Amino acid sequence: MHNKSALLLGGAAAIAMGTVAFAQGAAGLFTKAQVDAGRVAYNEQCATCHQPDMSGMNDSMPLAGESFMKVWGQRTTAQLYSKIHASMPYGRGSSLDDATYASIVSYILAANGATSGTTPFSPTAETGIGSIATGKAPAGFFNAPAQAAAAAPAVGGQPNVATSAGFATAGQVVKYPDPGRFTLPTKFGLMLKGDIQNYVPVTDEMLLNPPEGDWLMFRRNYAGWSYSPLKQITPDNVGQLQLKWMWSMPENGTMEITPLIHNGLMYMWGTSNTIQALDAVTGELLWENRLGPPPRGPGPGPSNEETRAMGLYGTNLYVNTPQGFIYALDARTGEEVWKTKINDKEGIGWSTGGLIIIKGKILVGMTNCGRKGTDDHCYISAYDAKTGKRDWKFTTVALTGQPGGDSWGPLPDNERKGAETWIAGTYDPVLNTTYWGTAQAKPWRRDERGSADGDTEYANSTLALDPDTGKLKWSYNHAPGETFDLDEVFERVLIDHGEQKTLMTIGKAGILWKLDRATGKYLDHAQTVFQNVYTSFDPKTGRPTYRNDVVDQKSEQWLSSCPGPQGGHNWQATSYHQPSDALIIPLSQSCVLMLGNGSQTYFEMPGTDGNLGRLSAYRTSDMKPLWSFQQRASFLTGVISTAGNVAFVGDFDRVFRAIDVRNGKTLWKTRLGTTVQGFPVSFSVDGKQYIAVTTALGGGSPQLKPGTMLREVHRPVNGYAVYVFGLPDNP
Amino acid sequence: MTSRFFMPALLAALAVTAPALAEDYQTNLGPMPLDDETKEFIAGRGDVKASFQGDTLMVQGNFQGLPSNATEAYVWQSAHTGVPGKQIASLKLTVTQSTSGTVSGSLKLTRAQAQALREGNLYIQLNSEKAPPGYMWGPRGTLWGWLLPAHETVGPNVPQQGNWFVPKLHTLSR
Repeated sequence: MHNKSALLLGGAAAIAMGTVAFAQGAAGLFTKAQVDAGRVAYNEQCATCHQPDMSGMNDSMPLAGESFMKVWGQRTTAQLYSKIHASMPYGRGSSLDDATYASIVSYILAANGATSGTTPFSPTAETGIGSIATGKAPAGFFNAPAQAAAAAPAVGGQPNVATSAGFATAGQVVKYPDPGRFTLPTKFGLMLKGDIQNYVPVTDEMLLNPPEGDWLMFRRNYAGWSYSPLKQITPDNVGQLQLKWMWSMPENGTMEITPLIHNGLMYMWGTSNTIQALDAVTGELLWENRLGPPPRGPGPGPSNEETRAMGLYGTNLYVNTPQGFIYALDARTGEEVWKTKINDKEGIGWSTGGLIIIKGKILVGMTNCGRKGTDDHCYISAYDAKTGKRDWKFTTVALTGQPGGDSWGPLPDNERKGAETWIAGTYDPVLNTTYWGTAQAKPWRRDERGSADGDTEYANSTLALDPDTGKLKWSYNHAPGETFDLDEVFERVLIDHGEQKTLMTIGKAGILWKLDRATGKYLDHAQTVFQNVYTSFDPKTGRPTYRNDVVDQKSEQWLSSCPGPQGGHNWQATSYHQPSDALIIPLSQSCVLMLGNGSQTYFEMPGTDGNLGRLSAYRTSDMKPLWSFQQRASFLTGVISTAGNVAFVGDFDRVFRAIDVRNGKTLWKTRLGTTVQGFPVSFSVDGKQYIAVTTALGGGSPQLKPGTMLREVHRPVNGYAVYVFGLPDNP
Repeated sequence: MTSRFFMPALLAALAVTAPALAEDYQTNLGPMPLDDETKEFIAGRGDVKASFQGDTLMVQGNFQGLPSNATEAYVWQSAHTGVPGKQIASLKLTVTQSTSGTVSGSLKLTRAQAQALREGNLYIQLNSEKAPPGYMWGPRGTLWGWLLPAHETVGPNVPQQGNWFVPKLHTLSR
């Protein structure tokens, strides 16, 4: 017994020592040269999404600091290496060489206070991150310059391996599974000056009642219908559609744009803020102004590198850029008329949601504003169309003393973050009210945010503003205290039923809402896809109640969210087909398990048999479901419908299709160069109706989730373009 | 909204008055939560039909496309549809030890388990050699699927007119 006890004690001591060894770890698990090389590689491959200071953004979780350590402090360096190697860079997991991955991990560990030594990083070392890192970066760590000369070390005697597949030079080894090559534009400015004669200025009256053949704004009309009154293309002849022309767009970054059409001219936005005017019938380039800057990295980019719509007014084309500028360009020549900055602080507050022009004012929202640690708030602002001078701004979080100002728990005003407006609003000229959706409070999860059980006004709300003054008329909070990145920011569609003026909107939770747009009063809702975030809704107010485990969440707890951040609905906008009172809605059916720091794993929505995409139509008068179909691939475009009873939509797997709006049957489809992504439009020139649609990559959850889950779908990593279809000239 | 709840409510009322009727359920098995690191091992599909009568749940299904051989399958109970739960040790299913095959069993449910079934809170989890059960970067396993009331299904791209089945919304206690 004595000996046995000694053995047991010895074993216990050994176990204890092992535990201590794990807890204390070993310093110097990587070299300074690896950290230097990692700094270069990180800034090239990772910083666009995770930010140069590793603070994270949107779908990209923080890689340094307390939030990182909460999750990764309990895991090993081998696990961190494995995860980064398999999944990064975004959409191109395992595409870099092993030495570069080791360098990037070394740099991340160093940024969290781990010290370098003489031993190179070992991808298989099971060292507890919590034992070597504190989450605190050494002073000035992120300010050190990234030395391009500090490249990744040569591997196996081979020439230096390109750290970026896009910049490989002849003879360099590139470990990169995708066939594409990227080039980033290097020259900016007015590359081709236009000389468009007899341009018809866009008037207020045209914006109120758009000419039949035009598409002058984001959703075509102020009510946000995405509906064309053209009816030459019908269910009977849509099968004859043929490609009229196609125009390749700049690669890299992200594109989710709405082509604008006026009097036979097409205006396009491309990555690098490349603005082009094209002949809408022939596809001929008429002018081009590359506003810049280029995308921050090679390949498809994140969701904050694009804008979704421009605007036409007078003789100008108005462009809001993701960098937070508004440009007025001469629509005839492409020359810059004026330029103004919407963000008050350098580098904080961008703009991706397009704009709306109301009575000579350019109204624009913000994204990537109001983040934890930055001294700012998000706002909607208005600018004089003639001069660019700011007229008003409305801050989208409720501050102390304002209505809802007590809804942020214990948080002081300067810590009330989020409520971005990344989809442009709509407008009711009779009520003289503009309607905007807001995104969730930041950080997403309540446990990280610190707002307790507060409603976090005016996040995830519908805001009704006076366009003349920016004053709030009313707000309605769709997801009080939201906690899963389930934005309610998307299009507000204005529909009248007799005397009743309603507003319809649907957010990521997949709840289709109907409000009285004169008062903000809740009228009705419908659940369009499975959801398990809410357990009930108040029948009078619509206020949802969260699951208990959501209310009691802990940062290190994996929580289920159906839908996940891909959203039951996302930016792929609805279309209101007025003749049948049908709202046609692109839906997605994926779920996530999520940690407090935003780390996620994905799964298929229960009951969907792996069909991530769903397209459904609801009659808005009584919220009755009309028809629905699902498919494996997610829909990645908005929907348009036409007076010809045809709707169009595109998907992740390159299919662009026409649908009978009366029953959901597919009438015609074709396959394009890459993912069909953006906002299709319909227009006419000389009596002929056309359909235009873009293909592109980049973006957030709508690209990320299917990119991982649809293993069998293979897409080119290039192919950004606009396609125009029409009926044969001599049918 | 009211009319959409009428049929489930009617079914619930009928269930109270006619408990001897068999209740039919179905699920499709799909990959458990995955990411780019784990999708190589967590893959495959399957379909299961189940019938509950008295206190017995009869399960019959198939699966295919696993990256490694299946090892075991159980019925699990969760607090909500789509939320990972706990394995019920007594509800073990017979599964083909291969990358494709069948999953089946005749299981006695407690009253609480029967209630969970009716509320959409029972699911089948199938594990495999390379994606075993456990908890690493979230709950692990290979395929799962929540048992939901039998409902009409159509293939991809086939439109359904009027209502279509939405789990939970149409999975009221029956």
